[in-house]
Amino acid sequence: MRALHDLTFEVRSGEIFGFVGSNGAGKTTAMRIMLGVLAADSGTVRWNGAELDLDSRRRFGYMPEERGLYPKMKVGEQLRFLAGLHGMSPADAADAVERWTDRLGVGDRRNDNVESLSLGNQQRVQLAAALVHDPAVLVLDEPFSGLDPVAVDIMSDVLRERADAGVPVIFSSHQLDLVERLCDRVGIIRAGRMQALGTIDELRTTDRLQWLLEVEADPGAVLTAVHAVPGVQAHALDERPGAVLVELAAAGPGAGAAGAEQDVLRAALAVGAVRSFGPVRPTLADLFREIVSGDEAPDAVHSPDGSSGSRRTTAEAAA
Amino acid sequence: MSGTRVVWMVSQREFKTRMLTKANIISLVVMVVVIAIGAAVGSYFLDRDTEEPVRHVALAREVAELRPALEAAATAGALDLEITTMTADDATATLDGDDTTLDAFLDGESAAPRMLVATEPDTAVLAVVSQAVRDHATAEQIGDLGGDPTSFAAAIAQAVPHLEAVHEPEDSTFDDAAFGVSMAMISILFGALVGSGSMIAMGVVEEKTSRVVEILLSTIRPSQLLAGKVLGIGAYGLFQVLVLGGSLAVAALTLGVDALEIDVSIGSALVWLVVWFLVGYAIFAVLFGGFAALVSRQEDIGSVTTPLLFVLFVPFYTTMFLVPHDPDGTAVRVLSQIPVFAPFMMPVRGAFGALEPWEMPLSLAIAALTLPGLVWLAARVYQRGVLHTGSRMKLREALRS
Repeated sequence: MRALHDLTFEVRSGEIFGFVGSNGAGKTTAMRIMLGVLAADSGTVRWNGAELDLDSRRRFGYMPEERGLYPKMKVGEQLRFLAGLHGMSPADAADAVERWTDRLGVGDRRNDNVESLSLGNQQRVQLAAALVHDPAVLVLDEPFSGLDPVAVDIMSDVLRERADAGVPVIFSSHQLDLVERLCDRVGIIRAGRMQALGTIDELRTTDRLQWLLEVEADPGAVLTAVHAVPGVQAHALDERPGAVLVELAAAGPGAGAAGAEQDVLRAALAVGAVRSFGPVRPTLADLFREIVSGDEAPDAVHSPDGSSGSRRTTAEAAA
Repeated sequence: MSGTRVVWMVSQREFKTRMLTKANIISLVVMVVVIAIGAAVGSYFLDRDTEEPVRHVALAREVAELRPALEAAATAGALDLEITTMTADDATATLDGDDTTLDAFLDGESAAPRMLVATEPDTAVLAVVSQAVRDHATAEQIGDLGGDPTSFAAAIAQAVPHLEAVHEPEDSTFDDAAFGVSMAMISILFGALVGSGSMIAMGVVEEKTSRVVEILLSTIRPSQLLAGKVLGIGAYGLFQVLVLGGSLAVAALTLGVDALEIDVSIGSALVWLVVWFLVGYAIFAVLFGGFAALVSRQEDIGSVTTPLLFVLFVPFYTTMFLVPHDPDGTAVRVLSQIPVFAPFMMPVRGAFGALEPWEMPLSLAIAALTLPGLVWLAARVYQRGVLHTGSRMKLREALRS
């Protein structure tokens, strides 16, 4: 089975990269390849231009999808052990463990066995394990799943702070609102291929400008009236009865469309009282649904620079 | 960071974890207690078998002349006899009381004295007293008849048959002491090897089940993880062997090895126990680690450790049944050169003193030559298997891919 096809992306220093895709799309596989836990059949993972090896991977912070800690080992001891494996001296490790467990709210559980903690707290310890050695690159597979809102806020702050310190951060998540809020760039993956890649703004920019129109009148009449305006398409929305989605042909960014929406408004006012009329941009969730439900056809990658990947799995990070 | 430091840290964690596990502490304490109880019970039975208690006989003043005859009879009958002088009243009081130190009291006439006992006479004491009284009477009669009682006694003492056998008795009588010591040794060895092997297998699978292996292997090499585990658990196994072997040695010494005339040196037995534990551990530990990586759940562990346990059982029982009766037979000589048999057979043959000087070094050399191959095999299986999840991986699959 082929899990990934021509998956290429790049994460820059100080950037938070959101990795989005439906279950089984290949996010975890890509991350495991980045960490060398899984061997890729072809392709490379490079950091600062050099292919990754064990020594550079030691500076990565990794949170695997399947959480893993020694269940019968004390939280503090375990984190110190992992920090040591990453090359920290015992004294530095002890300091870092104290700092991160306090920050993530599990400071008073340092002397408890991991298995005695609630799942949410185990998750916080798992995050501490990824952060404790002050990694130069962060790769986190669904770091937010299972966290309470307070922990989500702490975690968001931590990721932002690390990115601001120049660390490239890659994380996957199904909480799209969070991804939208937090990430500088997003990659949407489907069946092992990168379907969309870019900043949130870039992804939300569509070829046709969309406006949502609500008029106190029969939707059929509104549709007829709006269709009369040249270059305009409209259709009723199933999920919002009474509202009409109007699409204006974008004649170059902005300029030409400026008049068209006024024509639409005038046409609508002629039919009835306009309750609301405003531009809509697709949310990440909309984009995600569109891409995931789309059929095999769109092979071309929506990447802003238009470059489609080679037949390799290539991930690149810069710090 | 150097690989050695990583291996050291992993092994340190393994050792500490095993040392601090409650179940391990308890089982070790229980085994030491069992050895101590065994030693106490053993010494009780040994003392009871070998040492006859001291018998006390009291004489009234009028039969005091019986004393030399009593002493002579006691010596001849190999009885430890203490003779005191007492009045009849005192003796009656003593025999009547709870104090059981006095076995018999004699008074009346020396030729036919009264023997006063608490309830039943001690047969050994009765025999000695009867002999003494008879000897005394005979000596009196010899004297009355004008003979010399002393030369008569000397003549009687020499009147014993001189024993001669047509066949010399067989030299190689079964060596109980060597058997006991060597069986105790290989039992400890077997227990320690099975224990450490299972610990390694469980440790490997625990890391796979808890998925911590994914974090570890994003930082260190599989070979470093396996090496650290093998060394750490090996150190713990060695600690167990030393504690148990040491307490057995202490037990053997308190049992009075000298009194039993055991010509096996406990010290050298202990040294060989450690040497062969290390060799046996090196052979089996990596195999347990490598094979355990094929499964992902504790329930499946049996399917990979059972064949290895079998490979441990066979040499253990073969040694137990074959070697003590024929420590230098051809079959034993050949088998004891095979690496999986050597750790069990060599110490036993050593204890029976059935080793040619070249045999032990040769078997050690063969084991040392076999080891790199085993390590290679196990490390390969481990590397392929350790990140494999789900159902059991086939050995062939692990070796081929």
